[in-house]
Order: sequence, then structure tokens, then C-alpha cells
Amino acid sequence: MDSKQNAADSGSKRSTSRRDFLKLAGAGFLGALATTTLGMGVMETADGRKVEVWALSSGAIVHDPNRCVGCRRCEAACTVRNDGKGSAFISRIKVSRNLQYGKLGVSAAYAKANGQMGNFLVVADTCRQCSHPACGMACPVGAITADPTTGARVVDVDRCVSCGACQDACPWGIATLDPETKVSTKCMLCDGDPNCTKNCPTGAIKFYPWEEAEALLFGTDATSGATAVSGASA
Amino acid sequence: MTNTFGYTGKILRVDLTTGKIWTDDTMKYKDFIGGEGMSMKIMWDEVPAGTHPFSPENKIIFGSGPLCGTGVPCSGRTNITSLLPSNPDHSVSSSHMGGYFSVEMKYAGWDLIVVEGKSAKPVWLRIEDDKVWLEDGRWVWGKGMFDAMAMISSQMGKEAQIAMIGPAGENQLNLSVIRTGASHSAGGHGGVMGSKNLKAIAIKGTGSVKVAARPEELMALDKYMMTIIGANNQHVVPRFPHPWAEYTASGSRWTAKKGLYWGAANPPVETGECYPEDMQSVGLRTHKGFQDLGAVAEKYTVSMGGCAHCPIRCHSQVRIPQLEERYGIDPNVSNTCVGYSGPNGIMFKGTPDLPGQEKGEQSMISKTLGSHLADDYGVWCNYGQMGRDLNWTYTHGILKKVLPADEYASISWDLLEKGDPAFLIDFYDRVANKKGELWHIADGSYWIDKRWNLGEEYWAYDKNKLWSKLGYPVHHANESQSQVGALVSCFSNRDAQNHSHSNFGAAGVPLELLKQVAAEEFGTPDAIDGPMDYTPMNQGKANFVKWALTRTMLHNSLTLCNWMWPMAFSPLKSRNYRGDTALEAKFYSLVTGIPMTKEDLDRAATRTFTLFRALTIRSMGTADMRNKHDQTTSWVITATKDKNGKEIPQFTKGTDRMTQEDMEKGRGLVYKAFGWDEKTGAPTKATLEALGMPEVAAELAAKGLLPA
Repeated sequence: MDSKQNAADSGSKRSTSRRDFLKLAGAGFLGALATTTLGMGVMETADGRKVEVWALSSGAIVHDPNRCVGCRRCEAACTVRNDGKGSAFISRIKVSRNLQYGKLGVSAAYAKANGQMGNFLVVADTCRQCSHPACGMACPVGAITADPTTGARVVDVDRCVSCGACQDACPWGIATLDPETKVSTKCMLCDGDPNCTKNCPTGAIKFYPWEEAEALLFGTDATSGATAVSGASA
Repeated sequence: MTNTFGYTGKILRVDLTTGKIWTDDTMKYKDFIGGEGMSMKIMWDEVPAGTHPFSPENKIIFGSGPLCGTGVPCSGRTNITSLLPSNPDHSVSSSHMGGYFSVEMKYAGWDLIVVEGKSAKPVWLRIEDDKVWLEDGRWVWGKGMFDAMAMISSQMGKEAQIAMIGPAGENQLNLSVIRTGASHSAGGHGGVMGSKNLKAIAIKGTGSVKVAARPEELMALDKYMMTIIGANNQHVVPRFPHPWAEYTASGSRWTAKKGLYWGAANPPVETGECYPEDMQSVGLRTHKGFQDLGAVAEKYTVSMGGCAHCPIRCHSQVRIPQLEERYGIDPNVSNTCVGYSGPNGIMFKGTPDLPGQEKGEQSMISKTLGSHLADDYGVWCNYGQMGRDLNWTYTHGILKKVLPADEYASISWDLLEKGDPAFLIDFYDRVANKKGELWHIADGSYWIDKRWNLGEEYWAYDKNKLWSKLGYPVHHANESQSQVGALVSCFSNRDAQNHSHSNFGAAGVPLELLKQVAAEEFGTPDAIDGPMDYTPMNQGKANFVKWALTRTMLHNSLTLCNWMWPMAFSPLKSRNYRGDTALEAKFYSLVTGIPMTKEDLDRAATRTFTLFRALTIRSMGTADMRNKHDQTTSWVITATKDKNGKEIPQFTKGTDRMTQEDMEKGRGLVYKAFGWDEKTGAPTKATLEALGMPEVAAELAAKGLLPA
């Protein structure tokens, strides 16, 4: 598959790479982390600094613009399963907003730009299950945690206080407050069986194990943190 | 308003004369299901007979249905209902478009949008959830649709979905469209928006459509449906041999095969074998570039497009560099079927390939250029009729007679004669911008005949394909399931746009299987004939006609795509190729929480179709539908001849022609199946009351329009 477009379109820069972080934390650190029930915790580094660390996600969804036909069946599949309703706005995979004029939106060169009003390339925004998730780190009440089974960064709807901090923080524009329930929605990988991938009629959406997903989403330098801001709205 | 599932519960009402915007309750119309059904009821209640389509008193209704927005396969269409300008009596009719507009309506909280009145200046209607207001439209008035959509989107946001008219609609051409997205056009009602000074409706919705059932129930039904779905037009047998396929069918739109690619994708995407059980290749089954533009188009095909929540992608998305190199226009073009061939019909002298071109290249260029121009100006081809009308009036010297000499001389007929697609650029400019006399080619056939006096031979010439003197052409008529298609085509006020019967007959399975399923659905295998091997009318065919008419009305109300639904067949040998014609009811019940059987929905559709009949009776001012509305042109009931000039009698092998006597028998059987008066074809008082429409019976009685 060709996901270069996706990666290039969304940018791959970040301030802290996972490799850097591993160097920082030390080898035995992740093993200890895996035993924590929330899949995350605060650890102390050798030089005494406190850092927040997360268990890696089991993987992530990757969208291939080259195969995408813009049907939006993924969006409906997402929200019917997880919210009991059809909606584009709160879908955890975002196709609609980029469908017609691409991520960049309308320009004078729209006829050549991405989107169905242009060159027909439809680039979705997907949750990258960041190793260093901005949504979870921004949540003031710890309502976003790594799922013990899948590692997906999930929202505890009972703890969510509807502040929108996750929505503001996510550089990929995924976390979204549902205007009807006022609760944050973000991709939780459907308990390990993502419904969007099953409902894609061209195989444009696939779930990849973390190492592959990371390479596809963040480029071969595997920069998977989410603290970078560039490219989020590109 | 009550809490609703499937329905948003709200209808948006806009009066452009006063600027008043208000909300109405959807559920008071729920007996009419949604979309087209509800729109028919509003037209009956609120738009009196004799209203001109372009008067402020006419209303135009954008309708979605309860399934729209829930992800049910092929549920993305928008129904538009209003008085139809091209119809001689300005009867009510509907036009339909695919795309994403109706889903956005639902997510913004609106089941229907009803627009009436006339704005003093050009405006566009802006809808952001429950915030609705009118915007100054003067700066986008006169603009082609591609640019104007970008201009409005730049203000409204890239995610806005827009329904818009082009210059043709603004200039109130009878044959003009309302378009949404890159390639989805509803033909016939563009001028109604133009007459109201309404350039566009633009919507953003952040809400949802709630589902009554538990998610897993709807997901399970959706998964089941995905095993029944075929390719475009619900063709369930592939065109080419596959390891899994028991049958092939030469006319099938299941065109995928190993070695056939979306050739301009990067890297190219192979359509492949598309095993029926593989849900991740359903969208690859139909290669519409190959189907509509020919084998030459394979390498120009970027991908397929289509409508919201539809896994069948029936619009090809192609990049034709020649359009930019030769004409300086956008090389990216998307469309489907008659959206390509209709505009190209203007090039009726043919478009022979030039030296150095590949086989079919010039035709592909002409089709995509015509499609782009028609979509930008918003001209409707009247389902391909405009090209045939131009052919007739040019070839018979009528244009030379009726056009002023200087106008006639200024038209680039030489380009037409030699097959240069550049003719289209000149043609569409003249027509859409109402230049000279030529633009009356967009009045529609009935009005062209009135203006230019084309005479009986125009209507009687079979290759003109005019089905009715109401001015509309063949659209799956006698060539499609014998009397079934022929009779289905007699009940509308425009081309019939009915695919319930044509998809059934063209599913691709052998005739014996077709007959088995026909027996299950219509009571007898005799409801189906072999191609060009017809038998006289029978009761089974009448049942089939009623089923086709009511199912299509149902689909336009739910809103489901009648280019795919109903699901009479499946590609699965394990199901003996059976589909499931109760799927509409199963989805309706789960989504809305209102339990409905297949029979319940069929009855609701019968109610709506009977109301449509009453509307036509009211606009024509006669109950004698049999003689005043339901007749065909003469070629349909005239025996054709073989290549040796010998007449082929009807109901013998090798002809698809009808006889008047047999068609009259068919009309009577269909009227009876609906519970209508067998002599006139008008609904009786008893039937209207039994269907819960005593007010319709009372009004028709007061006007003397009930059968004796």
C-alpha cells in the first residue's frame, strides 16, 4: 500500500521521539509499566525527573488515500457501533471534513488539490494511538488511559468532565466532544476489532500492529509522539 | 417535537419572500414514510393546481428519509420534489441526486427542507445545525457551479455540503439541474431554484441520526445485507469469468477482473476477483470508467466515487490530461452513465478518433468534456433526449428555419460535422446563457414541439426514443422486461427513473432462476419474459409493475438508492442467488423502532403512489388518466421490421414492440392491482379512504375528478 501521502500530508515532526524516550527511561522500565492497570504511570528517571509514560498501543488504524472512495461507511460504522447513532462529526476516523477539498480546505487551486472537487485523493485523519498521547496528557481528570488489553487510548465516559482539553490538544484533530452528550470521543480500536476497517469496501483502512503502524503513520524514523503541532491541519 | 429514531423529527421551512424561517414537525407526515412520500403530501396540501413552477407560490422540497445517515448501504440519495417545468401540465414530479447532501441535512437536524416564495435578490441558504439564515448571493450568481461551490465553501467551511444551480437554473431553463458535490445532479428542477433567486443551499451538521435498535442488531443486519449486495444496478453475476463464479453476464456492471485497474491511481489499484464473501472488495466490483468510457479509460481512472454510505461506487473519477491540454479545462472529471453519454449525445455525428489517438479516445474526451460543461452550467439532458432533439431539428432543417439566419450561421456546425468536441463548448454557452433561439432546445420535447412545430413524425420516429407526448423519453421501458417496463413508464411525468424492474431482469442469473424468483414475488414465473421473446400481458406482469412502481416510491422515501435497491437477488450460490425483498422493512424497523413488515411498507408506498396519481389528476384537470396521461407514442405499439424489411409480429421472437390492445389490457390490470378505477385509471373514493386519505377524495370529488 501507499501511505506516503498520508504521512507526508500530516507531518511527522515531533519534539520527543520514542527512541529518545526509551534511552531516557531505560530498558527495564517498560516491563514494569505493563503491569500497571491503567497502562500508564509516572516514573522517575535516573537523574530524578518525573515523566509520564504510557504502555504502547497494540497497534493503530492506517488509511490509504489511494484506495479510499470517500463513501464514509467507516464513519457510520464507527458511530453506530460506539454511539448508537450515525454521525460524521464525532466519528473517530475523519473522512467527511477532508472529502471535498482535502485537509487544506478550499484554495484558488482547488481543481488540482486533494479531494473530490480536485484530484479525487481523499485523505482521512485517523487516531495514531500516540506513544505519548497529547489527549491523555492534557486531560485534567485522567479520563483518558491506555486500555489494559489493547493499549488503545480510551476515554472513561464517567470520568470525562467535558472540558475539551483533549480536543484542543490532539494535533491530529481526532478527539471530539460530542455536541449531544458533551463527552469526548476518540478512537478506542473497538476493543481490538475496529469496525471501520471491516466496513471499508475497498480495503483502504487497515489495522496494523504497532511497529508497522508507527512506521506507516510517522515515517521510517518512527517519530510517534504527539506533542508536535506542525501538520495537524495540513 | 418528540424524540425520534431515524427521523430527526424536524422539517425546515423557508419563505424567501418574507425571509421567515421556521420549523415544522416531521412525524405528522409519517404515514408517507419520508423523502418523496412526505413531499407529495406537502405538495398536495399546499400548492394548488394551476400554479406555475416558476411562480413564488410553487414550493421545492429537499427530502431525506429515515434510513439516511445511519450507514444503511446505499442510503445517501436526496429526493427533490416540485412542479416540473418541462411537463406540459406542470405536474408534480421528483428529481434525485446522490452525494452527501441528504446525510448532511440529517446531521444538521432536518428531515426535509421546504422552500417557497421568491427572494428580491439572489441569496443562498446557510444551515449550520439549527442556525439557519439567508446570505447575499449576488457575488456567486452567474458563476459556474465548480467555482461557486468553492466560493461558498471558502466562507462556510470545507466540510459544507451544497446543493446548487448553475447559470442554466438561474436563467430558468426547463432542462436544468440541481447539483451537489463533484458529479451528482438532479435533473428538472434547477429553474425552480432560479425563479426563487436561490443559488444554493449549504449545510453543515454536527449532530446525528439516532438508531432505535441496539448497535449490534443494526450491525448484524448491515453485515447480512453486504452478503446480498452485488455490483452497480444490483447485477449479481460478473461480466468476466472468475474462479468463484458459476455464471457470467455480458451486460453486467460487475466489471472487475484480474488485470483491470484504476490505472491512474498511484500505485494502480487492481479490481481483481472480488469474491462475493469479501466485504473489502465490494467497492472494486464496478469499474465505471471501463463501463462508461470504454477500455481506453482504464489508464485514466483515478478511483471510483459515489454517495454517502454506499459501498457500490458507480461514479468513475478520471483524469484526462487532454482536456487541459486542448481546452484549458480541469482534467479531473467525475460522472456516471447518462451523465457522460447524455451531454455527448449532442455530438450526434460521432467523434471519430484522430490520427495517433487510441481507440475510443476521442469519444472519452468528448464525454468527459460534455459532462464537465453540463455540470458547470447545470444543464439537464432530459435523460439523453436533448442530443436526439438537436439531431432531429438539425437534420430535418428545422433549426435552419427557426433560428435567425445570422444566429444559425454563427454556430460552429462544422465542428459538429467533423466530430470535434469543441462544439460542446460553444453549444453549452449558448444554451445555458439563453442566447438567440437555439437555447429553446432546453425547453424539453413537448415545449420544443409547440414552439418549432415538429409534427407527428418527430414523436413517431423510434430512434427519437420519445415514450410519451408528455415529452419524456425511454428510461428502462419496453426493452426492459416487456410490458413491465412499458407500463412502468406510463405512470410518470418525466422519464420513469425506475430500476426496480430493470435491475430485476438484468441481475445476470439465467432465465430459469429469474422466473423462479418472479414466481415467488409476483405469483407466477410468467411475470418474466426472455429478452426480445415476449408473451402477451398477464396478471403476474401487472403485479410486477405495481411492485416496481411502489418499491421505487418507497426507496425515494426512505431514502434508498433505487439504482441499487431492491435486493431481489444475491451473488451467493449458497442462497441459490436469492436476495431479500424484506430488507427495507427490516432496516426501517431497527432504525426507527417502528415495527413494519414488508407488506406494511408496500402499503405505505401504495398510499404515496396513489397520492402522486391524485396530484397528476389534479394538475391535468381530468380523471381520464388512461387516455390523457398513460398512453405511449405510436412507435411503441407499431411492429418493427427485420433487416430484410419483413414485419416482425409482436409477441414473436426478435421484437420488443407492444400492441395497443395488449397495453390497454395491461393498464386495466395495473389499475385494478392498485384498487383504482379500471376504466380511467383514477383512484376511487373507496381506495383513497381505505388508504387513509379522505381529504384527497373530498377535494377530487369537489373538483369532479373522481371516477364515476
